[in-house]
Amino acid sequence: MLLTSLSFLAFAIITVLLYFILPKKCQWLVLLIASLVFLFYKNLSIGTIIQALAVLLSSYVLGRQIEKNKETKKAKRYLIIGIAIILGILAYLKYSNLFIITVNHILDLFKVSYQFKQVQRVSLIGISYYSLIMISYLVDIYRGTCKSEKNILKLALFMSYFPILNSGPFIRYENMKDELYKKHKFSYDRLCSGLVRILWGLFKILVISQRLGMYVDTVYANLATYNGFYTVIAILFFPMQLYTNFSGSIDIIMGISEILGIKLPENFTTPFFSTSMTEFWRHWHITLGAWLKEYIFYPLLKSTIMQKLNTFCKNKFSKKIGKKIPMFLSMFIMWVCIGVWHGGAYTYIIGSGIIQFIFIFLEDLLGPIVSKINKKIGIKEDVFSYKLYKTIRTYLLFSISMIFFRATSIKNAIKIFLSIFFYNPWILFDNNSIYKAGLDLLDFRVLILSLIVLFIVEKLSRTGSVREKLFKQNIVFRWGIIYALIFGIVIFGCYGVGYDPAEFIYRGF
Amino acid sequence: MSKEEIYERLNKVFQDIFDDESITVNENTTSDDIEDWDSLEHINLVVAVEQEFGMKFNMNEVTTMKNVGEMVDIILSRISK
Repeated sequence: MLLTSLSFLAFAIITVLLYFILPKKCQWLVLLIASLVFLFYKNLSIGTIIQALAVLLSSYVLGRQIEKNKETKKAKRYLIIGIAIILGILAYLKYSNLFIITVNHILDLFKVSYQFKQVQRVSLIGISYYSLIMISYLVDIYRGTCKSEKNILKLALFMSYFPILNSGPFIRYENMKDELYKKHKFSYDRLCSGLVRILWGLFKILVISQRLGMYVDTVYANLATYNGFYTVIAILFFPMQLYTNFSGSIDIIMGISEILGIKLPENFTTPFFSTSMTEFWRHWHITLGAWLKEYIFYPLLKSTIMQKLNTFCKNKFSKKIGKKIPMFLSMFIMWVCIGVWHGGAYTYIIGSGIIQFIFIFLEDLLGPIVSKINKKIGIKEDVFSYKLYKTIRTYLLFSISMIFFRATSIKNAIKIFLSIFFYNPWILFDNNSIYKAGLDLLDFRVLILSLIVLFIVEKLSRTGSVREKLFKQNIVFRWGIIYALIFGIVIFGCYGVGYDPAEFIYRGF
Repeated sequence: MSKEEIYERLNKVFQDIFDDESITVNENTTSDDIEDWDSLEHINLVVAVEQEFGMKFNMNEVTTMKNVGEMVDIILSRISK
């Protein structure tokens, strides 16, 4: 069920109505049923039921056992079994082809003519999200930060809470248990606030992301026709397309959750204002970063093997290097995990994993040297112009990495990159050429205008909630803005031929 | 071991990790008070403290302790066991 489809609209309205009409003690059950409908929508089969039940049952039983056997070796064993089951199912459903492709490559290297066929497996929506969420549930019980859930149906709701299945955010049991199961009163203020957020999400997706997508898709599909500046623009458009799509869908589900009275953690805080890649990743897909830090990066860094490496490097080189090498090694492993999580393809591992690591590594390595040079030649770093340069540089770096993310294969990514080097700047000035790549003059005007609106809203949101600021305004201005948003979406939204609802880039993960 | 002794040994660990002989910590010291104390140095610090006192923090404690006072309370509870 796509978030911008009419069926989702109907689903959300029915869910909210039942949630507030039925007795309050049934609220969490309404959510559970709605979540199961969302989870199995058009995907109900014995296979999908088994994959969901396997994760739920193993998390439930092992969670209880870990708690019962606390601080014994058994607890650790149960934890490992639990993680292995969840990751095993995830890998079987999502990474079989990555494994087959790798094996085929190796066979190719050894000149073996046999090749394994790729497989088609149906996985449930949100599997990448609920798998990691359930791992964190087990680890948290093991660490003693949360108690295990006694009611399996309540745990089922935590695992499948429908707003997070589309594209996150990642939630943690300890923070969510009260929110999910307690009784929530209806609130008119929350309804208005949630609806405005949903509208804003729809605006981002339908007016901006879809429009950018029309251009990006046209160029990427016809690299022979569109190269040089066409490609440069497509490469620059894609991060914005991805952002408006991804954060827009987060806005929609956060809006719904807000109406229901259930607070979810934020996943984006204006990432494109960042002045470095390190800072960027603190504001982009925040809950994924937090998950990886908590469950992979810190435990790795604290592990005996990394500490031994630390001591070894300290004795061999210097104290500083002793600290840096284990840190970067752990960081590298974490970034590969991020890449793998994004999908079973090497383009993701490179684009959203390894390249990001390289950028962050270089920033750490070269940052102090650049600062020293700047100091010597008198370039000020704490002025607006220098920060602007760093912000633009961060956007450019992210755009380059996203070539791999968007491309269909590594070869394709290299082809895209190389097609930049075709000199045709006149397409920007001859008034016609640029409007032939999926977007006409009107589309470009709408796009620029809506990007300005996005910029203003993002800028305002850096000093507090924009909706709160809006609701403090007088009625005429307040409703003027809301109506403008509604009409903007209705008139300028890209609905595709015969209403083909917007596809979500992040949905597949 | 008394609290004073713990603070004394802790000071040495902090001075060593942050390369600053002038650091002295008290129960209210937080990461805001020491410039280089970011999330990465925090892990290094925790490991160094573990080695110094021959005890282990669990991951939950590592990420939730708010100031040096809480760190000392955990150390005290572990070494007195």
